[in-house]
Amino acid sequence: MSSRILPDFELLLPQSVPEAVELLAAHRDRITVMAGGTDVMVAMKFAQSPAQLPDYLMSLEHVPGLAYVLFDPDKGLRIGAKATIAELLAQAEVKQHYRALWNAARTFATVQVRNTATVLGNLLRASPAGDCSCAIYAIGGTVALQGPAGRREVDIDDFWLSYGVTARRPDELAVELILPPPAAGSRCAFKRMTRTNEDLAKLNVAVRLEMAGNTCVDARLAMGCVAPTPLRLTKTETLLKGRELTAEVLQSVAASVPWEIDPIDDKRSTAEYRRQVSGVLLKRAIQEACGAA
Amino acid sequence: MKNRDITLHINGEECRLNVAVNRTLLEVLRDQLGMTETKYGCGTGECGACTVLLEDGKAINSCLTLAATMDGKRITTAAGLSDFGRVNHIQQAFIDEAAIQCGYCTPGMVLKTASLLATNRDPSDEEIRHALEGNICRCTGYEKIVKAVRKAARTMPAPAACGAETCTEVAQ
Ligand SMILES: Cc1cc2nc3c(=O)[nH]c(=O)nc-3n(C[C@H](O)[C@H](O)[C@H](O)COP(=O)(O)OP(=O)(O)OC[C@H]3O[C@@H](n4cnc5c(N)ncnc54)[C@H](O)[C@@H]3O)c2cc1C
Ligand code: FES
Ligand code: FES
Repeated sequence: MSSRILPDFELLLPQSVPEAVELLAAHRDRITVMAGGTDVMVAMKFAQSPAQLPDYLMSLEHVPGLAYVLFDPDKGLRIGAKATIAELLAQAEVKQHYRALWNAARTFATVQVRNTATVLGNLLRASPAGDCSCAIYAIGGTVALQGPAGRREVDIDDFWLSYGVTARRPDELAVELILPPPAAGSRCAFKRMTRTNEDLAKLNVAVRLEMAGNTCVDARLAMGCVAPTPLRLTKTETLLKGRELTAEVLQSVAASVPWEIDPIDDKRSTAEYRRQVSGVLLKRAIQEACGAA
Repeated sequence: MKNRDITLHINGEECRLNVAVNRTLLEVLRDQLGMTETKYGCGTGECGACTVLLEDGKAINSCLTLAATMDGKRITTAAGLSDFGRVNHIQQAFIDEAAIQCGYCTPGMVLKTASLLATNRDPSDEEIRHALEGNICRCTGYEKIVKAVRKAARTMPAPAACGAETCTEVAQ
């Protein structure tokens, strides 16, 4: 029974990462972290039972030093836990070297939401529809988590465990995301289907291809809205590796996708429709990646 | 904490407040301060009726913002666009182009126009539509709103050569 009214909670406003980690350790499963709050606030307003509500809400508003987007040609891209989608879009290097992520950010929601929502919040929400999540899955990367015992890094391939659940432990704060440095033959692209731009995706896809001429040396393909978490299309990837990207190869790649995904019917689309268009959307993303150079 | 003392600088005025931590900025503006120019549409970030500008002109949804986290921040509402009670060039453009029917979306629309024009003085129609994506209008069909934004861009005062505080236009 949602009222769209915020329930009662205690607000915690830590001033540093160590203080935030202490609070997480003290309150564990009774606390929710809030970065931009665009998911957290909506979830609290729509809560169906008191059991879904946290006793403590910990806002990162006063934690300094986490709002960075830093590019280094040798080390890659580091995105701090408080960096917003708008701040990501403002970085010319993101557009140049991480085009899939830049396109996911550009088509993401609305100006107001982009000004508030964080890139890491998108990963931590662990929604199968997350646009930045899809792009980052294809690009590859690691999430840095800070806990009472120190820092550890989790590969994005091991990050999402099930719907809404990540490898983050209750006493860990996500502090940054690290994307690999751009490689010479690397090409990437992101595409999504929505009813209107501000709506969540009914299907999204991102690709990263390592090309030598017209031959695909390696591929990472990610698709969203087709499983409980963002999905790597590992079987379809094998159809690309070591192949020249001819029309026939692209056709076989597109034909393989519906067999590898497990979509559901929901208010944004049907499972059948998602299956029908999935291969075409992937094919177009591959073509865009190769054309974009 | 369940309540928090905060200071907001709203349309240039300092407001010291004690707010319940589960109150949104929208609720504080409307219910605690009586500033009803900021509208409640959906409460979930989709319609843009609750748009306010933060600090240097960043548009945000006040329905998704906790007032208690906004201590010390500068906030502009639609009323803050006018100069001493006189509508500004954006508001005038919306009047001139009849880009208002029921008016519910208008405060959000004029603020979004202000934030767009602050970074892009001559936006194309496509850029205008992309910028206004977070603001829903159920009445006008958007054509007149896009026209009003174009007119607002044409009638925008030239940027002041001096700092805003010492600028004669503001001082007059
Ligand atoms: C109107 C609207 C439109 C939207 N459109 C899109 C869209 O087009 N595409 C899309 O992908 N999403 C969309 N979203 C969803 C949302 O904006 C994104 O998922 C966003 O990236 C979340 O970031 P945030 O900072 O607001 O996260 P929050 O709401 O603050 O947090 C999200 C989750 O991450 C956790 N979390 C956040 N930061 C940390 C941290 N540092 N450590 C540990 N846990 C953390 C929170 O506890 C929560 O579970 C939309 C939302 C709204 C309201
Ligand atoms: S009321 Fe805030 S976006 Fe609709
Ligand atoms: S004028 Fe009525 S909603 Fe826009």
